[in-house]
Amino acid sequence: MKQRALWSVAVAATLALAGCGSATGNAPSSEAASGKLVVWDWKSSDKTATAYVEKAKADFAKKHPGVAVEFVAQPFDQYYTLLGAAIQAGKGPDVMMFNGGGQIRDRVDALVPLDQYVSPDKPRLAGWDAFTKDGKAFASPVTLQGHPIYFNKDLYKKAGLDPQRPATTWSGFTADCAAIAKATKATCFALGNKEGAGIQFFLSAFGSGILSPQEYDDWIAGRRDWSSAHVKQIFQLWKDVEDRGLNSKGGNSTTMFTDAFGIFQSGKATNIIGLMSDIGHWKDFNEFLGPDNVGVMKSPVVNEGTTPSLPFDGGIGYGVAKWTKDPALAADLVRSLTSTEALTAFYTNAGAVVSDTTVKAAEPAVTALVADLKTGKPALHVALSSKTIELMGRLSQQILDGSVTVDAALKQLGESDRS
Amino acid sequence: MPLGDFTPLLARPARAGRADGTATASRRRRQTGGLSAERLSPFVLIAPAVLVIVLFRLWPLLLGVNFSFTGDGERNGAAVGLDNYAELFADPLFLGALRNVGWLVLLLPVAVAIPGTLATFIYLRVPGHRFYRSVYFFPAVLSPVIVGSIFNLLLSFDGPVNSLLEVVGLGPVDWLGDSDVALFTVLGVHIWATFGMALVVFLSGFATLDPALLDAARSDGATLPQVIRHVIIPGLSRTIQFVFVTTMIGMLTSMFGLIYVMTSGGPGGSTYLPEYYIWIQQGQMNRPAFASAASTVLFLVMLVVGLAQVSFLRRTGKED
Repeated sequence: MKQRALWSVAVAATLALAGCGSATGNAPSSEAASGKLVVWDWKSSDKTATAYVEKAKADFAKKHPGVAVEFVAQPFDQYYTLLGAAIQAGKGPDVMMFNGGGQIRDRVDALVPLDQYVSPDKPRLAGWDAFTKDGKAFASPVTLQGHPIYFNKDLYKKAGLDPQRPATTWSGFTADCAAIAKATKATCFALGNKEGAGIQFFLSAFGSGILSPQEYDDWIAGRRDWSSAHVKQIFQLWKDVEDRGLNSKGGNSTTMFTDAFGIFQSGKATNIIGLMSDIGHWKDFNEFLGPDNVGVMKSPVVNEGTTPSLPFDGGIGYGVAKWTKDPALAADLVRSLTSTEALTAFYTNAGAVVSDTTVKAAEPAVTALVADLKTGKPALHVALSSKTIELMGRLSQQILDGSVTVDAALKQLGESDRS
Repeated sequence: MPLGDFTPLLARPARAGRADGTATASRRRRQTGGLSAERLSPFVLIAPAVLVIVLFRLWPLLLGVNFSFTGDGERNGAAVGLDNYAELFADPLFLGALRNVGWLVLLLPVAVAIPGTLATFIYLRVPGHRFYRSVYFFPAVLSPVIVGSIFNLLLSFDGPVNSLLEVVGLGPVDWLGDSDVALFTVLGVHIWATFGMALVVFLSGFATLDPALLDAARSDGATLPQVIRHVIIPGLSRTIQFVFVTTMIGMLTSMFGLIYVMTSGGPGGSTYLPEYYIWIQQGQMNRPAFASAASTVLFLVMLVVGLAQVSFLRRTGKED
């Protein structure tokens, strides 16, 4: 009997253990002392980034000929899990890539403040805010990421509208959408909210047309009033757009990356809130629609007295790990990775809007984007913690399928943002 | 009476064993020196297995539980007592994940009945049963990622399933985008993908079923439902119990891939399971200690379910 009991405990324990295996991975140790720097990112294996990495390596080799640099490209969907394991172990890559905003701010404990090393780059590069916490910069920006509203000029022409002058007010914008829907059956927006990213894009793209400039700046500065009428208006608009049938169907089961982009590229939707760099950006859309058919606009004015602006931040950047042997050396590699020459190659091959303000743009959509950078402001959603972002994603899905009211969602978001 | 012959047969070796035991005991008294090595040898022999379990299973488990009492981020490494657990049980998302586990347990009979019914049809040699036998097993060899991708295409809002529904005149259903439907969609796909294995187990159970009983039932004029109810189900009771246990384990431990690919836990967190929650907290939220607390809770849930199943199996084993 006793044996049986023991046996059953052993079986149960084995079952349970199989259910929760260890999550820690192996982290390579830092090898800076032996003349080698290890870089983690999710970009260097892309074909479009090859020239960029080569240029950066060459620049660094000029300054430090004896130091080898190894790029380890991790899969993006596993990146922060692997990085978390490395941080937990207190050893890993010397230099690592980060998304701006919550992803880096949550992990600054593992990073070296770079201000003293990269100060000469400060005026040349834009997008530092997304990598800054408590006044210290923890990474140098490589690309800029923002959320312009792209539109399909061809559909405007088919509906007899002037694609050079899209509407600048919300009522005009929806009237255009109605006209295009009537003429071409294209929906107003391509929406992908399966990952919960749709609401982030929506909040940032239309925020500047709804919030007053003062409210906008307060939001970015951390003084966010989730119970204010204008914040509620943003989320109400999110619901209304769906209820009025302006979104492509099944937004909650459509991925933003990349099904929603596919809907826009195939001409089934007139507008999409896209990105500036990486994917879902002007270069991707140019390939499908042709460079002359891709238009860019800022948010229409929803409320009088607002000044719509392009929401953008630092997109991705490189930071230096706390455990590296020689932070100055690693910071030099970060400087090489943000050199004008390397970033020019990144812009040319990958179509990323890079942080370097001296890189010249050529094509129509990107010229319009770069022109808007001067008046642009940080995106609203980037100011939120990753915990609140995740909650907002879930609540946005529930708002769409009607299982949560806008008021209840805002109450939860306010609580999450304050904690 | 076969029982009358049987009892002494069993009793004899027992008595012989006792006699043998006294002999060994007297021998032991004579040569104690060589015996301590003999007594130690079983421990030496099991030592490698015990060490492997302790070092690679139990010790990390204890570390993980210990880790769950520490903080994350600014409180990294500091002891926080039961804070993580308090937060966990205040988080509607985690409670939702546990509720979804409850749904899985409730729907377990369906997941067992499907392969059971289909195996019965194959056993009763419906036309084309050989073909069905291989076709039913086929999805079991596909990885969850592939299955998930296939069903993502089939079940997308403008996908073929909805087109078909529209032709029939039923409105489109947002299979993966409606929070009331999504969990059952994913579960349905999981059952589709894994029932082949249970089917094979059922078929092997049928192999032990006495065909004479079926023939007898048929010649007594039993209908098909009656045959199933009174001959097949009682005859297969142990197989059915085994399939219950293995299907439950499969549901609790191997739906992560499908959820990851098909819904990412959405919409609105309605398809979260504890495993997925742990992964999000560790990987996306950078809260390993909090994730450890969730893992510990999952461990306890599995322990309870595992023990319940083991005792269930033992009890039914005694009935035979």
